[in-house]
Amino acid sequence: MKKSFLYLFFAAFLFTACSDDDENNIPSVEAPTTYTFERDGNSTVSFSGQTTRIEMGHELLGALSVNDTDNASAELLLEMFRNETADGGDANPYSSADLNASTKSIKSKTAASKDFFSANTSEASLIKADFEAWINAQAEDVFVNKDRQAEAGVSGQIADGSSVRYVNAQGLEYNQLVGKSLIGALMADQALNNYLSTAVLDEADNRTLNDNGTVADGKNYTTMEHKWDEAYGYLYGTAANPADPNATIGDDDSFLNKYIGRVESDDDFAGIAANIFNAFKLGRAAIVAGEYELRDAQASIIREEVSEIIAIRAVYYLQAGKAALNPNDMGPAFHDLSEGYGFIYSLRFTRMPGTDASYFTRTEVDGFLEDLMGDGENGLWDVTPETLDQISEAIAAKFNFTVAQAAS
Amino acid sequence: MKKILSVLLLSLIAWACTEDETQINDNDSFDRAAMLTNWADNIIIPGYVNYNSKVDVLAEAKSTFTSNPTVENLSTLRAAWLAAYVSWQKVSMFEIGKAETLGLRGYTNIYPTNATEIEQLASSGTYDLELPSTRDAQGFPALDYLLNGTATTDAEIVARFNTEESLSIYLSDITDRLKNHAALVLDDWQNGYRDTFVSNDGSSATSSVNKLVNDYMFYYEKHLRAGKIGIPAGVFSNTTLSTNVEAFYKQDVSKTLFDAALQASVDFFNGKHFDGNGQGESLKSYLDFLNTITGGEQLSALINNQFDQAKQISSTLDENFYQQVESNNEAMLFTYDELQKNVVLMKVDMFQALNVKVDFVDADGD
Repeated sequence: MKKSFLYLFFAAFLFTACSDDDENNIPSVEAPTTYTFERDGNSTVSFSGQTTRIEMGHELLGALSVNDTDNASAELLLEMFRNETADGGDANPYSSADLNASTKSIKSKTAASKDFFSANTSEASLIKADFEAWINAQAEDVFVNKDRQAEAGVSGQIADGSSVRYVNAQGLEYNQLVGKSLIGALMADQALNNYLSTAVLDEADNRTLNDNGTVADGKNYTTMEHKWDEAYGYLYGTAANPADPNATIGDDDSFLNKYIGRVESDDDFAGIAANIFNAFKLGRAAIVAGEYELRDAQASIIREEVSEIIAIRAVYYLQAGKAALNPNDMGPAFHDLSEGYGFIYSLRFTRMPGTDASYFTRTEVDGFLEDLMGDGENGLWDVTPETLDQISEAIAAKFNFTVAQAAS
Repeated sequence: MKKILSVLLLSLIAWACTEDETQINDNDSFDRAAMLTNWADNIIIPGYVNYNSKVDVLAEAKSTFTSNPTVENLSTLRAAWLAAYVSWQKVSMFEIGKAETLGLRGYTNIYPTNATEIEQLASSGTYDLELPSTRDAQGFPALDYLLNGTATTDAEIVARFNTEESLSIYLSDITDRLKNHAALVLDDWQNGYRDTFVSNDGSSATSSVNKLVNDYMFYYEKHLRAGKIGIPAGVFSNTTLSTNVEAFYKQDVSKTLFDAALQASVDFFNGKHFDGNGQGESLKSYLDFLNTITGGEQLSALINNQFDQAKQISSTLDENFYQQVESNNEAMLFTYDELQKNVVLMKVDMFQALNVKVDFVDADGD
């Protein structure tokens, strides 16, 4: 009896004694409990440009929704995307005066990350063109034909339970395409591939300035601190309490924040919201402490988790669409699959940590979309459950979750 | 001695832990066909026959009114509307077969209705009432607006119908549409679907029992609990939504409609015949056959008790739910809570006992 206890004790001791040696010798940085950082008693946290773009996105999505009577023109919708007129002049397309006064735009930051697109403007312009094509088609095709029933090959309206959906001839809802693709092309791309990138954080003499606590001109923050905050802003820019965003996670916008919340509420993935927030907080504290390896380790965590959220939701909607397939009642399936389309599109902007690449290349993403729309002549009208499963499996295979987990 | 004690302790723990679980009887030899027959012949078809007869009366009263708009004819029409509306409450839950294909409930009772859209469609003279986007401009709630909301006094309402022919045409069209739909559904039941329904007596997800139990649950949760009480009471929003009550324009019949719907839910659960003469196989008898015990009590008894609770609390509500929400919403919330308790008992315990899987997702998937 006594001997076995002694052996156990010894083994446990050995274990604890040995485990410390495997960790890097990083001096411990303590993150604050909330995202609160100050210099001389004033906050150094700022991400107003991100808040502005999320709000512009909300107005754009609102205008893309079909009204019974008063629908926006293609020109107005495109102005909301570009925040300028067709010939590059000043535009005031928003209902908010503040947004109209802003010089920022959604378009300028769509597919515009330093890592992915600074040397790839050709692809970037194709992506921006995709958005403008969807926006244009919503006005010129879907709005125009809103008062007829949709059929295979015919755009129009279709019931989804007690809601009404407005789809193109292939069963796609353009407003969902825009909304869910922006999550990748704007929010995720800017956060993961721009503001968390060492190419941006360590640009020029950011490191030295940050080490010396030298703030940017007229501001209270160092440039590096600010860049990190701008990544933060694309997730939490409209949070009720930006310092404690997980209190209202999922409720604060229609973009990345919303879907962090959705994935968090799936038991299979509970804890992901805290993981992301803690990584942001610790990384920001690491910047203040000048610990750049720790900072970059947090960036890796954020890249993996946010990429996973996009992938999980893509699979979720493909599977929901599959469950809803009913040749006599395709509205519910169209709605799910249109959201799925947008999340698949967003896969292009994910970031595999430790690499310079997304989880799926543009070619692979295009392949998924072609599969989704290619079972027959009429796109989603013809999609088969097998195709939806194939795409789901291919997406899940690159991550640590199963299709079943994401679908629940 | 020690061994016996530990075995005793273990079994005590095991017994204590399983006491509250719903015990499932795997040997399900219940006569589903008999239950389906009772549902079809004694509840559903008589319900639709009644609904059709009331809607026919409504259509006649409508014709009388539109050919001669007077305050008296308006009054008769209103009474016919209410009678038909009440009879609708008794069949709304059976969204299966033809009703499902037509999306019957969506075209019959979507509220709040869209007054602006009604006015626009009516005056335009061209509309396609088949379009899903017009569901909130037709059905009983649209009639409610036309008969009670188109002007402030009865005389003024009548005057509008006297001068605006387009309004009369619209009134006529949406009433006829109700009648046509009602006839289509009853005809289907009486000429083929009844046999299909009864013979599909298996236990797969697409069997009649599984489908109808799901329809019933969906109706109870979404249309009775949420639609009539929860949504107006602000349970699903930041503020109360008093204008979202059923029969908003008539106002003082919301409770009548609610009572009819709740009673219909209770009666269906118990297999009570539509004509009031007797009771047959239904969910209650099924649960009793399976000897479903929850927390030491018969589940069916628990559910019926909870129905009684809901009826008791809701009896204290004002006839006018709009007023109720505005003056004392707490009473609405109490009613909601009592209705909610049966959602748990039915959707979780009952479904599990009957080995039926829930086939609808109520969360907003967006």
